[in-house]
Amino acid sequence: MHPAPSIILFTVLSGFGFGIISIVGLLQFLNQISTVDIVIFSGVGLFFSIIGLISSFFHLANKKNAIKSMSQWQTSWLSREAISSIFCLSIVVGNIGWVFVRDRYISEVGIILFLLSSFTIFTTSMIYAQLKTIPSWNNMLTPAIFIFAALAGGSILLMDYASLVLLLIFGVFQVLFWHTADQSFIYKETSIGTALGFSKNEDIRSFDVAHTSRNYLLNEMVYKVARKHAIKIRYISFFSAFVLPMSLILIFPGNFSVSILVIGSHLVGVYFSRWLFFAEAKHSVSFYYN
Amino acid sequence: MTKLPKCEDKKLGLLIDLDTCVGCHGCVVSCKEWNSSGGEKQLSDINSHQKDPVGTFLNRVHSYERENSCTNETETFYFPRSCLHCEDAPCVTVCPTGASYKREEDGIVLVNEDDCMGCGLCAWACPYGARELDLVSGVMKKCTLCVDRIYSEDLSPEDRVPVCVKSCPTGARAFGDFNDPNSDVSKKVKERGGVDLMPEMQTKPVNKYLLPRIKSKDFVGSVGSVVEEETDATGLLGWVDRALSKF
Repeated sequence: MHPAPSIILFTVLSGFGFGIISIVGLLQFLNQISTVDIVIFSGVGLFFSIIGLISSFFHLANKKNAIKSMSQWQTSWLSREAISSIFCLSIVVGNIGWVFVRDRYISEVGIILFLLSSFTIFTTSMIYAQLKTIPSWNNMLTPAIFIFAALAGGSILLMDYASLVLLLIFGVFQVLFWHTADQSFIYKETSIGTALGFSKNEDIRSFDVAHTSRNYLLNEMVYKVARKHAIKIRYISFFSAFVLPMSLILIFPGNFSVSILVIGSHLVGVYFSRWLFFAEAKHSVSFYYN
Repeated sequence: MTKLPKCEDKKLGLLIDLDTCVGCHGCVVSCKEWNSSGGEKQLSDINSHQKDPVGTFLNRVHSYERENSCTNETETFYFPRSCLHCEDAPCVTVCPTGASYKREEDGIVLVNEDDCMGCGLCAWACPYGARELDLVSGVMKKCTLCVDRIYSEDLSPEDRVPVCVKSCPTGARAFGDFNDPNSDVSKKVKERGGVDLMPEMQTKPVNKYLLPRIKSKDFVGSVGSVVEEETDATGLLGWVDRALSKF
């Protein structure tokens, strides 16, 4: 799939923002956070999730109908994502206002924020995980890497050693995701044979492309990334998303300025991971161009 | 709106005969022409007469070669690819705006362009690459099964078929109701074993394909031996053969 920067930034930044909101909500529920921190970090979470959502808006080819995306929550994960994110952000704004004015908080609102914000990240991941056309996405590892990338990123400023645990879980799911995506069984049923109505192992090749230049399908869904580069990018992603952040947290626990560096490194790593998520994904339409 | 209807009445679709298709792209051209001459709704082209032209099409014809395992010979065939108007159309359920829908009365899958926001998710959800985003209007385009022809009172009855069917010079494309066991398309599917594309995707396509007939070893072998047997000819041909063999 074409790794469009607007979509990668959307999933990385809105995930990070909603991750912060989830962690603030959790700490608020557990009474482990000050009112000042609620206001500041909710604001940071709000900022990143809105930047992410604006970025996704730039992916739309017909922006004037964007508001209609809130109408089909019964069947569409993208619609659920739109509704859930707006609903969640409204509660965040309400919570910030309440805490700012009264200088105290309702801890029960925290658990609502935690659940709703995590659900929003889940809906984002399901936009991709629901697609049978892309088997490497069509499994529960996709929600796992989206949710734990967000929670790990969101926890770096707010938690000390707990963020190490979240980073570790994210790292394990990420490696599992790459491992699964590499397996030959990922397209266990589909081939150029079944795409054309024959049996799976039929020996068929395209001898002439159906059109004289690239088209929307090829630009959008038949993206080729060199395997040797993909492996290198995985190492870069793994190092900057997990290894460097975990080492820095262990060496400088509770150091705020180091935390900023940790977040920067982590987000760069998640960006590379998301770039690969798209670039390495093979869509079934590519069989017609084999 | 994006909930899929039952479609118990009619299931309109196309039956495409790969044994008959000669890959002339006539259906592609007539489809583009018909769907670009209806006023506002165009299938746009960019750089159509310059370098790197890009255009929106609802139908594409691919060319393949296939190894015949019986004869060890390579056979070629052509493959028109367009929307299959699936019963479980994943492109409809993923749509966030309700622009994508499947008609209950005849099962045709359509896009309401006034609601489409051009996110492209339906094109990702379609296994067959049947949807293309129009880069000029910013909305998703797909085969309408010529819904503006098949019910048109302005056209004479024999023209009330999709334009790709009407224009196909070899009659490789047929249009009909797959829900009616007595329709021509249903009978042909039964008689010649019509198949689904990527049945494993569980989309239940309405459109069916008839695969190319496979040439048998005996037949392919006999083509060579006919030529050799000519050397045993008698009479005038035998005289010509003997005369030519002297050189």
